[in-house]
Formats: sequence, C-alpha cells, structure tokens
Amino acid sequence: MRETLTRLRYRLVPDHVLGEILAKNWIDNAIPFVILLLTLAVLGALIPGLLTLGGLSGLAPQFGEWLLVVLAMTIVMLGGGIDLSVGSVFALSNFVTLALVNMLGWPIPLVMLIALACGAAVGLVNGVLVGYLRLRAFLTTLVTLIIVRSVVDMLILAYAVKVARPVTRSAIWDFISFRHVLGMPVSLVVALTVAIAGHVFLTRLRPGWQILAVGGSRRSAYNAGLPVRRTVAMTYVVSGTLAAAAGIFYASRLNAAGSDTGVGMEVLALTAAVVGGNSLGGGRGSVFKALLGTIIVLIVSNSLIRLSLPTGGSSLVLGLVLLAAVAIDVKWLKNRGKVLSRVYVSPTYMKLGRSPETGEHSSSPYAVNDRLRDVELIGLGEIDGPEDPILDAEGNLYSGTRQGDIIRFLAPDYRRKEVFVHTGGHPLGMAFDREGNLVTCVAGMGVYRIGPDRKAVKLSDQTNRSWFSVIDDSRMRLADDLDIAPDGRIFFSEATIRFDMSEWMVDALESRGNGRIISFDPRSGSTRTVISKLRFPNGICMARDGQSFFFAETWGCSISRYWFDGPKRGTHEVVIPDLPGYPDNINRASDGGYWLALVGMRTPAFDMALRKPGFRKRMVERVAPDSWLFPNMNYGCVVKFDETGRITDCLWDRRGTNHPMITSMREDRGWLYLGGVSNNRIGRYRIPGADPEWTASASYRGDKP
Amino acid sequence: MMAAFSRWYDRLRGAGAFAVTTPPMDGALQPNQAIEAADLLHAAAAPDNLVRSAVGLLFSSGNAILRLDSGDELVHRFDADISALAASPDGALAIGLESGRVLIQGGAHDGLSIDKLDGRPLVCPTALAFDDASTLIVCLGSSSNAPARWKRNLMQQGATGSLWRVPLGGKPACLADGLAYPNGILLAPDGRLVVSESWRSRLVTIEAGGRTTMLLSDLPGYPSRLAPRAGGGAWLAVFAPRGQLIEFVLGERDYCDEMMRDIEEEFWIAPSLTAPHSFLEPLQGGALKQLGMLKPWAPTRSFGLVLALDAQFRPVASWHSRADGTRHGITSCIEDKDGLLITSKGGDAVLRLGPEMLP
Repeated sequence: MRETLTRLRYRLVPDHVLGEILAKNWIDNAIPFVILLLTLAVLGALIPGLLTLGGLSGLAPQFGEWLLVVLAMTIVMLGGGIDLSVGSVFALSNFVTLALVNMLGWPIPLVMLIALACGAAVGLVNGVLVGYLRLRAFLTTLVTLIIVRSVVDMLILAYAVKVARPVTRSAIWDFISFRHVLGMPVSLVVALTVAIAGHVFLTRLRPGWQILAVGGSRRSAYNAGLPVRRTVAMTYVVSGTLAAAAGIFYASRLNAAGSDTGVGMEVLALTAAVVGGNSLGGGRGSVFKALLGTIIVLIVSNSLIRLSLPTGGSSLVLGLVLLAAVAIDVKWLKNRGKVLSRVYVSPTYMKLGRSPETGEHSSSPYAVNDRLRDVELIGLGEIDGPEDPILDAEGNLYSGTRQGDIIRFLAPDYRRKEVFVHTGGHPLGMAFDREGNLVTCVAGMGVYRIGPDRKAVKLSDQTNRSWFSVIDDSRMRLADDLDIAPDGRIFFSEATIRFDMSEWMVDALESRGNGRIISFDPRSGSTRTVISKLRFPNGICMARDGQSFFFAETWGCSISRYWFDGPKRGTHEVVIPDLPGYPDNINRASDGGYWLALVGMRTPAFDMALRKPGFRKRMVERVAPDSWLFPNMNYGCVVKFDETGRITDCLWDRRGTNHPMITSMREDRGWLYLGGVSNNRIGRYRIPGADPEWTASASYRGDKP
Repeated sequence: MMAAFSRWYDRLRGAGAFAVTTPPMDGALQPNQAIEAADLLHAAAAPDNLVRSAVGLLFSSGNAILRLDSGDELVHRFDADISALAASPDGALAIGLESGRVLIQGGAHDGLSIDKLDGRPLVCPTALAFDDASTLIVCLGSSSNAPARWKRNLMQQGATGSLWRVPLGGKPACLADGLAYPNGILLAPDGRLVVSESWRSRLVTIEAGGRTTMLLSDLPGYPSRLAPRAGGGAWLAVFAPRGQLIEFVLGERDYCDEMMRDIEEEFWIAPSLTAPHSFLEPLQGGALKQLGMLKPWAPTRSFGLVLALDAQFRPVASWHSRADGTRHGITSCIEDKDGLLITSKGGDAVLRLGPEMLP
C-alpha cells in the first residue's frame, strides 16, 4: 500500500525538472523578476493610479535616459569593473549639448557627436587608467566623478544663464524633445534599440563574449589569449558614450543645466544593475537583467517621491534596496552551485523483478564459474578505457580510450600498437560498415565515421528536440553503442540526457528513463529519436532477420527487441526481463546466438534502495559522493543468449582480477575479446569449439550465421 | 517541545544527531599497510581471543581453543563457538560460548557453568577478565542477540549491554547497564576498569558505583578487545570501520528494518569483518576498481586496525590493513617479547607485528 503510494508519487511529480531548471542560465533572472512582481504588487496597492497607463507613461521619457545609464554601468560591471562617473558624464554631456545648441547655435547632429565624444573621452581616461595602468576601478572612477563634476559646476557658474536661453529652433531638436514614435518617446526608442543591439553584442559577437570572459575570470581570459587590457578599457569608453547619450536626451527634454543634474545617478544605476541580477563580481549578467533592474528602481524611486517621504527618505530606501540586492547577489552566486548539486540527482521509484540465482552449483544458467580467469591480456597498462574493442577484416584490433584516441593493435600478436585516429572524446560503441569504415559513438560528441584513410567525419550530433524537455535534448550528451541496419541506417543509443560521461554511474541512482535510441539515415542525413524514456539504453545489435535489433537497458536489467521494418515495424518487446546484472553491449556470436556483457551485478541492498527513492535522495544529499551506494560494478560476466532470449552460456571472472567491469565482448575467428570502460587491458579468450573462420562482417554479409 | 522540534529539524536536514560525519584517520591514525605486511604466524579459520595462560599463548578458532606456540595443538573443543576467553593466574580458563554460557576450566572452580546472571539469561558474552583467581568480570554485549548476531545488534542500534562482577560461586553484581555493545575489558594497573563500547566508538572507565567516564571517544571504527601494553597504556583492536553510508543507513529506520527482514546478513549495508568476496555485497562508488585496481583509500565496510594507547589512553600509533587488503576484522591482540600478536578474524590469520614495526 505504502509502496503503491510511493510509486504514484514518483510517477506524477517530475522531481528532476527542478534541478534542470536550476541548471539553466536564465534562472538568474528569476529573483529580479520576483522582486519586480513584488514591487508592483506592494506599491500598486499603496499608490492608487500607479499601475494605470497614465501613471506608467509618465515615467517613459525618464525610463529611456535611465536605461542608457544603467546599460553603461552594466557593461562595465560585466567586464569586472565599476563606473561611478556615469552621473558626472551625464551632467557634462547635458551641459555641452545645451551650450553648443543654445549659446553657439551649432547644428544638432554635430552637437550630438561632440557630446558623445566628450563622454567617450572621459570613458577613455577611465579606461586607460583602469585597463592599461591597472588602477582600482572604484577609486579611479570616483576621482573622475569628482573632477568632471567640478568642471561642470565651474562651467555652470560661468554660463548658466546663457546656456538655458534657447536661441534657435530646429526640427531635429523638436523631434527628439517632444515627439513619440510607436507611442514611446524618442529617448526610450533609442534606449531600447541600444539594448537590443547590446544584447546581440554580448551574446552573439566575439567582443561581447570577450567582455564576459574577462569579467568572469581575468586570469583565465589572459591565459586564453584575450586582449584583457583593451577589453577593459573598451567597456569604459562604451560606458562614457552611453551616459553621454542619456545626457543629450535629458538636455533636449528639460533644457536646463542645474548643478544637481545627474547627482546620485551612479547609485541609482548601480542599484538598478545589481537588483536586476548583474553580478558585482563581473562576468554574469545580461541586458535583460539591466532592463528589469531599471524598471524596478524607476518605479520604486518615483513611488517614493509620490509617497512624499521626508528629506533623505527615498535615498535611504534606495540604499537599503541596493544593500539587499548585493546580499542576494553574493548569496545566490555562492550557493547556486551547492543547491544545484543537492537537488539535481532525483531518484525515482523502480521495482526490479527477482534476481535469478547465480550460485556456483545451482542449476541456473548464470551459475558462477571462473572460465575467464586465464584470459590472454592485450595492451595491459597501455590503454585506458577500451569500452568496445572491434576487429577489422585483417584481424587488427581497434579500441577507444579515455584520452580520446582510437588505438589500433596490429595482428597477429597485438604487441604493436598505434594511434589510429584522435577523436577528442571517449569513443564507446563501434561498428564497421560495409565499405570498411569504422563508425563510432563518441561520448559527448555524437556519431563519427572514420575511413581507412583515418579521416573522421561527423555523421550526427543533433536530433529532434522533444517538446516537454527542460534540458535541451537535441544535443547528444552520451552516445553509447550503435549498429548498422542492412539498408545503411545507423541505430544508436544515447544512455542518458541528464549526465555526462564522467558521472554516468550516477544515472543508476535515478533509474529513470533518461535515455533513448536514435536513428541516423545516411541517405537523407536526418537524425531522429526512435524510442525515448529508456533506462540507460546501452548495447545495440542487429538481429539476423534484418528487420529488428536487440537493445539492452542497463538499469532496467533487461534486453528488448525493436522492429524497424517488416510487419512488426515500430514496436518493441522485452526478450529477457530480469537479468542478475546490468547489461551492456550486445554482439553476435558464431553459433547464431548473441553475446551480452554484464557490466555489474545486482545486489540485494541496491535493489531494495531502488524501491525507496526517498532513501536514495537523502543519501545523495547527506553522504559524500564517494560513499554513495552503487550497483556492484566490481564484478561482471559474459552471457550468450539465443534469438528467443534463452541463456545458453555464461563466462565469469569470479574474483574480478582481470575483468572487474566487462562492458563489451567481440567474437572473431574463434576468440572472444573483452573490454571494460574503466579497465586498462583487453582480454582474449579462446572459445572452445567456436568456428575459427567466423567474423562479424561475414555474419553481417550473410555468409556465416 | 523545543527539543522535539530541533530534533525534527535536524532529521530533516541531516544535521546534529542525524549527521553522518565520521572522524578522520589523521594524526596517530594516519594509515599504513603494516598489517598487510606483517608476518603470518598461523592460518586458522576466524582466529580470536588471544590470551596468555599458564600453558602458553592460546587463541580460539570456531569452537576450538588452540595453542599458538606449538603450531595448532588443540587444547579444548566445545559444543558451540567461542566468543570470549580469559585466563586466571592460577591456571583456570574462563570460556564464553555462543550458546550463552560461561564455562570455567581448571583451577579451583573447574567445571563451573554460568548461564544466568542475577536471574537474567546470559546471551552475549563478548569479553571476560579475571579480577583475581575467584572473581570474573563479564561483558555482555546485548540482552537479546548472541555474539554472532553483532551486525543485527548494531543495525538495531542496540544499547542493552551490561558489565558484571561475578564472584565464582557467589552472587553476581551488575556494574553497568545500558551499554552499546561492550566488547573488551582492561584492568588498568591503577585499579580502573576500562571497557570498550563498540557502537559508541569509545572507551569508558566504569567505577565501583556504576558511574561511567569517557576515556577516549570518536574512534573512526568499532573498538573491540583491549590488551595491556608494556610501559603503561593499552593495545586496542578496532574490528571494523565506521562509514558515512553505514551511519546514514542507521538513521534510515525504514530501510534498515526492511533490510534486516529481507536480506541475508552478509549482504547488508553494515560493517563487516571480512573483505568483500561476493558480487552480492553492496558497493560504494569510490570502491569501484579503476584500471583493474582497488584504491586503498576507497570507502570500505571492513579494515584492519590496531591502536597503541598511552597511559592517558590517547592514541600514539596505529597499524592498518586498508580497503585493498584482506587482513581485516582485527579482534584481539597481545604483546610478547617479540612484538605484538594480532588475530585477523576476517582474514583467517594470526599475525605478528615485529619489534621493528612498533614505536
């Protein structure tokens, strides 16, 4: 009864989604978004009319200017710095614009360019000091803030009256000042355009990526060969220019040069950037976050004015908001990874059938023996992780390694070896196609074809994205084993979409259907998912009817058969339901049967834990990863089954001395070659009575069984 | 109310009493491979209870008492396995049996058999010691589980052990009760009675009034028999390691109870005397063989460990057999002129740590 409830609970509630959402980059926006909603709710209730169209559109001109300044601050923060001089530059630009337009009557486009240039010049000074001379950003920009502010104050003292008196009227000036485009003031349209451009710049263009890289880790960026100093300097120039642009709009809107112009703006901009979720430490943030932050701060500060707090009250509130935002920023950054690592692994309910007997003197087909004790060893200590060795027509032995190579051991004695090709990822399952090309699943990369000329060609690394998956499952994360149908289609398994090669075992703790089988059609070049939600689909082997293949589900401890052609096309059924261990690769045997590797054995303690997802979840949270309970993968065996799923033979390495974890075996010319994904040797076992002429390619051609 | 709440909160978070941290093997406990490298004196099935008697060094193996000095000369054989052994200065032997009896062989009380103490059945004799020729100190590990069922006792979080002073032929007195598997006795030269309490990973002294004081706590394993050390102090055999997973399972009562009900004892997630030998035993991730080898620092449910304690019962040195070894489950030790003799109950071996290996 209780177990039924547990089963239902884990079937209905998708626990794994929480971890997947937390792993997304856009989750950083969640907190600012919640803050925005809270702000709107609280202030909307306090101030009647705030949330009406009129209330909001009154803020629009100011919004454009502020957004530009916040973007200025954001870009510097992304590069790992801070620019306190934005307020002063804003005031300088305001004064320069008014002076040139009103006092001297220069043409507007020229005035704008000069004002922007002034801002850029101040930014350049900052940039040179901070970027090239490596001064502290905070102090340097504080000094520029004071100097530029003083300059503006002196100028205002001298020319305040003249500056404020308009002498000319210009169509451009009027357009900027009063017109609306698409219902928005020009300043907002420009600011939003800049924002979109900035978003594209930061996420799609090389210099934008460089800014994020430099901000994320200056040293790594330097080591990667990025122009760190130039990048930092550039962020200040961009910042100065954007602040100046905001100043121009301010000038056109108010046409006044007071000494309080832009005072305290740096704090507003900083608050907005941080409240939006841009990290003070640099490297993490986006334009969208700046936008969110601007809206929040704009609404809060205007509401505070409407609430008519006593003098200094609104500054106090904004200061507290900044403090809270900084605290959240620090905590979030520090704990996000921790939370993620706690919640990502999400076990689910699973009940396996009774494990078959394996006792030595039992009548079970799985009875333990020690026939693999005296295997010949190939490449002992020279290879790391031969997951699925394979032999070519000449009898040379190929094997992937963890270092990303495919190693070739040369026939007949396999003492000499050479690197056949370097793929860059761990090559797992392998198969030869009819033309003698080696097709292999490379973990983390996809399916590759390697010709006899040692050229590697990518066949597929993407499939159709499923509709309701939070994880982007279009990319292949852990392509595992493959086989090639008579018509040339390649069917391959992707063991799990939730874990990488280095942590594939953790998928056992979840035992959810995280994997799938995918087919690649070389005729059309298309890739699509054939069966999904499988429990770690692993080995694939074509049946001899040319219409179906066998596949293993490792955590499901079962072998199934899928028909891709013929009358039963598109269906699959279980052939062997309950194995005593965890099945891995399947390959053909010379007597018409199929070899199957059991990578590890079921233990009563783990089988029981599978029925208790809460137990596994708490274990993952509280116990160090090294001490987690796993299936017993220190022992393995090879079994042979026939077309009906009957077990006909069984080979054990009882002590696990040479082959503690057998992931694959390959029969060739009377020998059986054994591989293990975390082993450092390939075993070679003489099969008594096997056909010495039999090879897999002869079998696939139909010349042999 | 507050206490209940904080207990509930700790349980939820796995903190406080529900934390699964285990003490580190550091300082004097820094690992080595000394026990793996030690000389094999004698291979015997499950040797235990090294004792110096009038006729020489004795140890038990199953239901037999063997003499060590002369190979494997059989001294006695009983109808049940031997779980505890002590020799008195006058040549008598006290033998604790799995079947819930303590026998006296030789001496003034030859043939005496005790199967009840103060009316309570004697179920689990784990250690014996002669205070004088006619007074026996008896450690009872549990009031319900026989010594061979120690794993079950641990997984039940048993704390029903007791300590008795038994004047032979007289009325026994209970010295302490409610102990979590007392498993070794040492009569210190200063008259103190030191007892190892396995499930609480500590040594305590028991005073006449029954008051217990902590002597050494937070051991990284489950302590077993104690033996006096020349020059003061003691030798302490630690028969199995504590591990995060086991501590965690102990807190998961639902899992634990079902495991005890449905799974054979040797396949439990529980400490063990022997190194893994079956693929049906549970495996922890760090104990996966990589490149064909098991790392010595892998998480393990069994190990071999002997500690040397100084006169204040602080560890000063240690000898180990680690996860990749087989001489696990050290249950007893005794010092002689040529070094230290130890029994590896899980490794079926009596071993000698030569004087060059001792401090």
